Amino acid sequence: MIKHYVKIAFRNLAQQKVLTGINAFGLSVGIACFSLFLLYAVHEFSYDRFHTNAGRIYRVVEWWQGEGRAPGGSGGMYTPVAEAMKRDFADVEYAVRLKGADCFMKAGDRIFNTSITYADNSFFNIFTFPLIYGNAKTALQQPDQLVITKEKALQLYGTTNVVGRILEIKTDSAFEPYTISAVAENIPANSSVKFNLLCSFERIINHPEVQKSNKDWYMTIGLEAFVQLKPGSRLAYEQNRLDLFRKKYYSEEQKPRKKGKKAEKKKEPEIQTSFRLQPIRDIHTNPQIEGGTDPKNIWLLITIAGAVLLIACINFTTLAIGRSAGRAKEIGVRKVMGSQRTQLIGQFLAESLLLSVASAITGLILAHALLPLFNQLADRKLSFSLSRFPELPWLLVGLTLLVALLAGSYPALVLSSFKPILVLKQKIRVGGANLFTRSLVTLQFVLSIGLIISTIIILQQLSYIRSKNIGFNKENVVMINAQGIHSKKIYPLYKEAIQSQSGILSVTASEMGLGSGEGQMGWGFTDHLGQVKGVIAYPGDYNFLNAMGIQLVAGRNFNPSIASDSMGAVIVNEALVQQVLGTTNEKALGMEIRNAKGDAATKKIIGVSRNFNFEDLTHTVRPQMFYRPAILEPSRIFVRLQAGDPRRHLALLDANWKKLVPDAPFEYHFLDEKFDNFYKNEKRWSAIAGWAGGISIFLACLGLFGLAALAAVNRTKEIGIRKVMGATVTNVVALLSKEFIMLIAIALLVASPLAWYVMHDWLQAYAWRINITWWVFAVTGFFALLVAVTTVSVQAIKAALTNPVKSLRTE
Amino acid sequence: MIKIRDLEKIYRTEEVETVALNKISIDVKEGEFVAIMGPSGCGKSTLLNILGLLDDPDNGSFLFNNIEVAHFNERKRAELRKHNIGFVFQSFNLIDELTVFENVELPLIYTGVKSGERKKRVEEVLDKMQIMHRRNHYPQQLSGGQQQRVAVARAVVNNPKLILADEPTGNLDSSNGNEVMSLLTDLNEQGTTIIMVTHSEHDARYSHRIIRMLDGQTVLENIMV
Repeated sequence: MIKHYVKIAFRNLAQQKVLTGINAFGLSVGIACFSLFLLYAVHEFSYDRFHTNAGRIYRVVEWWQGEGRAPGGSGGMYTPVAEAMKRDFADVEYAVRLKGADCFMKAGDRIFNTSITYADNSFFNIFTFPLIYGNAKTALQQPDQLVITKEKALQLYGTTNVVGRILEIKTDSAFEPYTISAVAENIPANSSVKFNLLCSFERIINHPEVQKSNKDWYMTIGLEAFVQLKPGSRLAYEQNRLDLFRKKYYSEEQKPRKKGKKAEKKKEPEIQTSFRLQPIRDIHTNPQIEGGTDPKNIWLLITIAGAVLLIACINFTTLAIGRSAGRAKEIGVRKVMGSQRTQLIGQFLAESLLLSVASAITGLILAHALLPLFNQLADRKLSFSLSRFPELPWLLVGLTLLVALLAGSYPALVLSSFKPILVLKQKIRVGGANLFTRSLVTLQFVLSIGLIISTIIILQQLSYIRSKNIGFNKENVVMINAQGIHSKKIYPLYKEAIQSQSGILSVTASEMGLGSGEGQMGWGFTDHLGQVKGVIAYPGDYNFLNAMGIQLVAGRNFNPSIASDSMGAVIVNEALVQQVLGTTNEKALGMEIRNAKGDAATKKIIGVSRNFNFEDLTHTVRPQMFYRPAILEPSRIFVRLQAGDPRRHLALLDANWKKLVPDAPFEYHFLDEKFDNFYKNEKRWSAIAGWAGGISIFLACLGLFGLAALAAVNRTKEIGIRKVMGATVTNVVALLSKEFIMLIAIALLVASPLAWYVMHDWLQAYAWRINITWWVFAVTGFFALLVAVTTVSVQAIKAALTNPVKSLRTE
Repeated sequence: MIKIRDLEKIYRTEEVETVALNKISIDVKEGEFVAIMGPSGCGKSTLLNILGLLDDPDNGSFLFNNIEVAHFNERKRAELRKHNIGFVFQSFNLIDELTVFENVELPLIYTGVKSGERKKRVEEVLDKMQIMHRRNHYPQQLSGGQQQRVAVARAVVNNPKLILADEPTGNLDSSNGNEVMSLLTDLNEQGTTIIMVTHSEHDARYSHRIIRMLDGQTVLENIMV
């Protein structure tokens, strides 16, 4: 029987090549799209699950709540905490500190800028990063030992067996030799813990900054701490034990806080700070802890993927119903010959399964071919790896069966239910546009139109935030990396060398960078209400504000000839004046401010700058201050170039750099690109939604094309009679298109409020956002109608041009 | 073999009620060859459909081999039909996507006959119908007469006790029509009961008895000698 089904299925599919082709192609595209999105989702949810003891590994995080703010935390940990936890909790099996740093690496004549990670010895006891060469137990025993990844070894040496080789690395002032003790397998893309070069924490333990942080329980140096708990330990859920631990080392937090009179009146809630243990598997997808991505986005992607697949399935169903238009007789005969309904259902499902298996195979080949493009789009390095995602084959098999069932069940149930005598007497017309297929087509367009409206709104918001005047001039500014060089000495020389050259408009520097991926330095200041407020500090050159185009709204700029300007003068922004000082710009001038801990010198406000957006536009401007340190040791040099082709100027900057700093690469970014990078996610999402919208419109049109063809076939007689009665081609096209235009109009009416609601919600995340305008809906509606009418017209014109005599004879 | 009493079939639309069979009673004995005649719309095809368990009556009794089948459900009807009844239609109703062999094989598939046995029986019947040389052809590659021979082959391949023929020569020329009627006569002589709806007096003369219908009722019975 099955052989019979398969044989018939093949013949039926082969007989209606165009419809079968449209059907299979549409489903293949849908499956390819869904597979890629599914791969992305599986990848995102698979983060850090590959560690053998993943269920017992936790990151130590600091958690804040209260003061009316949303609870949240940070993985940035204080240096002594990891060791203290190991010491104080018997159920902590291992503890490890991880600290990343930038460094220069010398390989032959070449010098690279790379990153190095310092970790305690217990690193390989906790994490599962298999070694190709070397011994995990001894790989980090000595401070001069280095574990290198396979990828890095191949990049540097062209081979992987590099144990024993010496690599020169410069983290401070000079290159120092390190011995490669082990070569690790490449770090999986779904790992939160990453390294290229791994070195013992012992190497930096005597560094003054690390030593200082090891004694100061408040000082952070960009370090993370992980612990592995013993089997059965419930420490992660026993918050009281963690609170006691906090209390032990942060006893002063328990003392009542000094409050201003206003704060007392207002009964401002305090911020509660605690340590928590965050499961390692939670790191990537917990947005409450800094650096975590919002799983909402992953679910959104799965929803989009589901929508595209649903559209493909709807297509499949409507076209399958269409394909069965000529099969009424066959169904009737089979029933007369004794076929049970279940047997017919089986036959139709077999056909559906056959087509979905073929489509799934084509879809997967397509997905594989499109993977590099998708990786670019999603900014990931995904691969269809069965070893990494063992669940993938089952998900795909399940998906194929589900598609076959979803798409095949309606035709199977409907067709098999016909009374044989009625179909044999041709009293039932199978296929065509009934209420069910009309609803499906409408649903397809609801989804497609919704996706396109969303894409346009995302693009509008992106364009808005890109073009928004963020309060300073970020165009034509080159930001040069001055980390790891003797910048205190080099910067003045470099500035001297380039500032008088043609095309160089100004040169300045700061100890902090600007834009995406640049760190921020913050101090706590007690505000006028007695609350501690974070203030972002920019230790920069005298001309920093001028060079960056940051305007002053009160007071004056720094003046190199006034000695006190490099001692205790500070320029603050309007946000600081309002939020911290609670006064006016004019009154703020001359005021003295001091950090909350009181361990820094008092600074006198000499100027107030206009607010500028140094962060992405989801944030409002936070309090900021600029000052000129007595000894400026910049990490970034900013050079403003004349507008136009920058190549000549860059060559000049490079040449001068090499003269002064021959042992460090000339590494730079354009500042506008760094700010654009803030919106990488938005760009990615708009591209993904755009593609999904385009694909869904394409798929919906395929379905529409098939249905229009059917409508034309089913109405052959009517068209013939109308033509005999005098209908023109235009009349016939209008007759056939009218119905579909109505469906698109309904789809637009349904999709518009839905898309408005979703996008309005999305826009709330931005402090600066666009207003959704009516024309977005109008343009999308017009576009959808145009595409649909074009699609339908192809069939309608064909039907309208047919000789009516032939139409009537056919009927 | 067949005993129907006071059988009624009424077709209703929103405004019109059409009585297709009006308390009709007929008996058909095993081995008989009965022709049903009457003008268009007299209810003869409706009667044939009910006899073939393709349709169910609204009222009355229908005994098939002494079993009351008037209100069998679809599954039971299909079961009884596939083992006992063969059909021959005016428009052949062959499945275009299947070859001659596969069309004839179809009833055997649904009765669960094993593949080897199916092949043997299909070849036997194709041979008997002298259409063996066309076994791998598709219906549209055959003449009308050949298509109807395939349809007869398909109707008899399961050795049914009853063959229902709905104007079997309606779409054929006289030579092919005579050939089909000879085939049906041969089958009847071998013991198969045949009930045939026809407009043709010529074809009706092949039968043992002619039942004439008008407005859903039997009006006359002619015994052929």
